[in-house]
Amino acid sequence: MEKIQDALTRIVGAENVCGDPKVLSEYSQDKSFAPGLPPRCAVRVHNAGEVGAVVKWANETRTPLVSVSSQAPHYKGDTAPGVPEAVIVDLSGMKKILSINRKYRMAVIEPGVTYGELLKALAGEGLTLSVPLATRAGKSVVASVLETEPRLNALHQWCDLDPLRCVEVTWGDGNRMFTGEAGGSVMDLEQQWKEDKWQWEPAGPMMLDFYRLLTGAQGTMGIVTWASVRCEIMPQAHKAYIVPARKLEDLVDFAYNVLRLRFSDEFFIMNNTQMAYLMADKAGEVDGLKEQLPPWMAVVGIAGREILPEERVAAQEADISEIAQNCGLKMPEAVGGISAEAVLRKAARPGGDASWKEIYKGAFQDIFFSTTLDQTPKFIQAMGSLSSQEGYPVCDVGVYLQPENMGASYHCSFTLPYRADCASETGKTRELFVKASMMFSRMGAYYFRPYGIWSRLQLNKDAQGYQVLQRLKGIFDPNGIMNPGKLCNY
Amino acid sequence: MALSREIYQAFEAVVGARNISEDIGICESYRAIPCQTSDHRGPFKQKTPLPQAVILPGSTKEVQGIVRLCNKYGIQFKASTTFWSVMGYIGSDYSVQLDMRRMRRIEIDPKNMYAVVEPYAIGAVVQAEAMKYGLNINIPGVGCSSSVAASTAGWVGFGPQTIFMGAATENMLAAEWVLPDGEVLRTGSLGAGSGWFCGDGPGPSTRAILRAKQGTAGSMGICTRVAVRLHPWPGPAYIPSRGMAPAYKANLPDNFKAYTLCFPSWDAYAEGLNLLHQAEILYLGHRQFTMFGRDIKTAMIKILNDPDGQLSDLEGYVNDPELKKANEDMKIDIQVIIAGMTPRDTEYKEKALDRVLEMVGGWKSEFMMDPEIKDWVLMYLLRMGHKNLNYVMCGGYEGNFGLSGNVFVSSSVMEEASALKKKWEDEHDYIAQVGGDSDMGSITIMGGGGSTGWEFFTHFDSYEKESVEGTAEFFNATQEWMNQKKLGLDMGKWNQSARRPDGYYFSQEEQDEMFSKLAQPLVAYYQYRVREAFNPNNLCGSYYRTLSKV
Ligand SMILES: Cc1cc2nc3c(=O)[nH]c(=O)nc-3n(C[C@H](O)[C@H](O)[C@H](O)COP(=O)(O)OP(=O)(O)OC[C@H]3O[C@@H](n4cnc5c(N)ncnc54)[C@H](O)[C@@H]3O)c2cc1C
Repeated sequence: MEKIQDALTRIVGAENVCGDPKVLSEYSQDKSFAPGLPPRCAVRVHNAGEVGAVVKWANETRTPLVSVSSQAPHYKGDTAPGVPEAVIVDLSGMKKILSINRKYRMAVIEPGVTYGELLKALAGEGLTLSVPLATRAGKSVVASVLETEPRLNALHQWCDLDPLRCVEVTWGDGNRMFTGEAGGSVMDLEQQWKEDKWQWEPAGPMMLDFYRLLTGAQGTMGIVTWASVRCEIMPQAHKAYIVPARKLEDLVDFAYNVLRLRFSDEFFIMNNTQMAYLMADKAGEVDGLKEQLPPWMAVVGIAGREILPEERVAAQEADISEIAQNCGLKMPEAVGGISAEAVLRKAARPGGDASWKEIYKGAFQDIFFSTTLDQTPKFIQAMGSLSSQEGYPVCDVGVYLQPENMGASYHCSFTLPYRADCASETGKTRELFVKASMMFSRMGAYYFRPYGIWSRLQLNKDAQGYQVLQRLKGIFDPNGIMNPGKLCNY
Repeated sequence: MALSREIYQAFEAVVGARNISEDIGICESYRAIPCQTSDHRGPFKQKTPLPQAVILPGSTKEVQGIVRLCNKYGIQFKASTTFWSVMGYIGSDYSVQLDMRRMRRIEIDPKNMYAVVEPYAIGAVVQAEAMKYGLNINIPGVGCSSSVAASTAGWVGFGPQTIFMGAATENMLAAEWVLPDGEVLRTGSLGAGSGWFCGDGPGPSTRAILRAKQGTAGSMGICTRVAVRLHPWPGPAYIPSRGMAPAYKANLPDNFKAYTLCFPSWDAYAEGLNLLHQAEILYLGHRQFTMFGRDIKTAMIKILNDPDGQLSDLEGYVNDPELKKANEDMKIDIQVIIAGMTPRDTEYKEKALDRVLEMVGGWKSEFMMDPEIKDWVLMYLLRMGHKNLNYVMCGGYEGNFGLSGNVFVSSSVMEEASALKKKWEDEHDYIAQVGGDSDMGSITIMGGGGSTGWEFFTHFDSYEKESVEGTAEFFNATQEWMNQKKLGLDMGKWNQSARRPDGYYFSQEEQDEMFSKLAQPLVAYYQYRVREAFNPNNLCGSYYRTLSKV
């Protein structure tokens, strides 16, 4: 221990190396069911130079590194060490917003920058960013885009990885480079800006798509020390609506028809349970809210930005409500005592330190995957049957459907709240989580972001794809020091 | 070295005797002039090497069989489909050429808005099928007779509709791909048997090795099927037309509007385009007709709109005062199309377009609003079926400058670039004299707006040595100018690092020499490592740019 701390102290300074077992135990386990192990120590890094030196040292000593950018708590098991003796590389202190460019709608940020911090800074420049649903306050934007978290506005996703564009990465082998357009010229951001290059184009820069090796990688390929993200003009007019429905199937047609015409900005679907979790301020409110709400809802936001904002909103409002009518639905601004505007406010802004999904029972487990919208009813029905079979209250299962990549696919997510202090409830939920994960896998769910047990379920389905991943891992992280134990230890 | 009988028969056993040939007449037709760019018939001295055989596989299994044999016998290979570009041709003597024309199936998922295509499904056919479902496809600037899979797997794949539909890299969903070592990779959701809807993941994307900003130009195996995202088409189930060949006009409903937007200055132009990127109102944006040249574009439009029009009419039209005035009016211009999804949407988009013009002091060209011309433009740009016209002026053309940075950077040098070209036009007679500015290209090369993709059309006679060589000289001069301005590689030289002027691939030593000078050599170094891992016998040539050590 002594030696490791000495070596790391030389790189980052004593004040940035932590060996305190109490602090380390916080890194060892997150709030998911995924197992974790206590790390050997944690280092706080502040720049790419320090990251490079830590990675070099880790290669020399074959020490596993687990990079963490968001503040605790964590929920997906990806940052809890999967092997003993790991060193946590904590990037949450890298908080610089390196540039915001209104003209090109681009921002370049370090990994410690949270959504709250970025949105505030962007607002000052008349910009904003499409965000994941009610993300927690301490969530790192860089981690979130690398994890390809779904966004509220799928129509601004030109591919699955938007709004992520370029990054600076130190690969597992210790080499540092820029990716995308930024990788095509001198490795100096200031110089690139001088040449009016704003880290815009994500792919390449040549024929190997480097950033695609980092997304969804759970820190197993390299450590990102800045990322550029494509922003949006701040809406000048913004309205929200809720389209209530008795059956999900009615909303399926509605959603297809709306997105197909490229109408709406924010768009997502929830059942009443999930909406109650989102909107309740305390546990006691959940059941009441749930009762007031219709079984299913589509939330539709319409924004007008710089050019004739009011007219855009008015035109789309009329058109979308006509589509709703054609599906036998209505599009009010409030439903069951909650206003669409309040929903959007909550959905589109960072919330508290912990996830809003904890509000009902103190703990929760999510199951999510990608599929197409027409497939979602079958998964939801199967979840209902399995829950009741397993003795988990079906009415507690929250469902959230979020279009991704212009609606080509949907993030289909189930939330299972439980009381962590009740062993039997925890056990039952864990059991349901495992069984449901396996059931969905058999039904054709695509664990696009394969955390925890999903990695085995998903990667085992495709031997050739897995082998390709292994070979790539061998190139970029030859000593396997980057977050070993994740993604089937490929 | 000809293929031995054993090897030839082994290939024959895979595809059948009808689908392989070593006939010299056939093989000779699979050679191309090694021009410097991706595509255009440019300066050349020699042809690409003669393939040992041409093989037409009919299925993924057959493709895999061929690739395995190539590995077994150490034979290089390259698959191509529509052969618009020299990229598609082999670059070494001991090679076979795969022609993918037997694989042409298309399946459309109208609900989830994607098409799964085999290589020989060309843009025109996929578009026609998609329109039956109210959908459309991004057809890159190469035009609708080119393979959708080739642009998706092989090259960049941006075009006039990229502003609304995104470029090939963005539209590519899951793919089935025979890797150079003969293994079949299925990317994203397809690998797990979940369908074609997602090309990324699970976890890091294996798709990373198949294409990035540009495709691998046949240098990382063979794409056998790929899903591409489709986009809304708020029009009839086909494009109804009127008129006579070649001046067909589209009879589209009133929600389709085609305008030529004109600007008082390049600053206003850049500002206007940036606002259009942000406004999300365009279905299509392309500076198309200046490709004929600033001084003659309206004359050419007149000729091309008349079924009896001839190039010999040019002189008369060029001096027509009305056309001259129209030319002046649309000196700094771009063609755009709006496609309203509903009457309200059409009305909003029209108004928003007018607002953008008002903000930057722009206007719509009256000349181009003539209903006959407007409907011709709609047919031209929505269908992208007029690619012969790229070559019509002198038989050959080559794009140069290639100002593909952001719109503000490229616009700011447009007059200077035009002046340089005009000087060469005036001082030499081997490139056509068209008024300097002959800049053509898409409003963006990425979804929603971003970098532009512009090239100056340099028209020359591809059958006259002096014209061919003079054009090459001109491109050297424009590259020098680009260097001074720090504008990167001239488009005429984009592929100069992929194939030697004699048509052969570069050796690794030659590549090392070139790519060690990159600003970030690691890019080519990792590409080397990836090639070593997936193409251990190095069978697909030097379009996969590699650097063996850093
Ligand atoms: C007139 C003209 C205009 C152009 N304008 C544009 C433009 O605006 N935007 C743009 O992006 N490009 C443009 N291009 C370039 C064009 O996109 C490429 O030529 C493109 O690849 C089109 O296909 P092709 O007919 O050349 O295909 P092919 O000759 O079939 O192939 C092109 C490349 O893809 C590879 N390939 C083909 N099929 C497969 C397969 N099944 N698996 C793996 N690799 C494969 C080939 O080896 C080759 O390297 C233009 C080209 C021309 C000639």
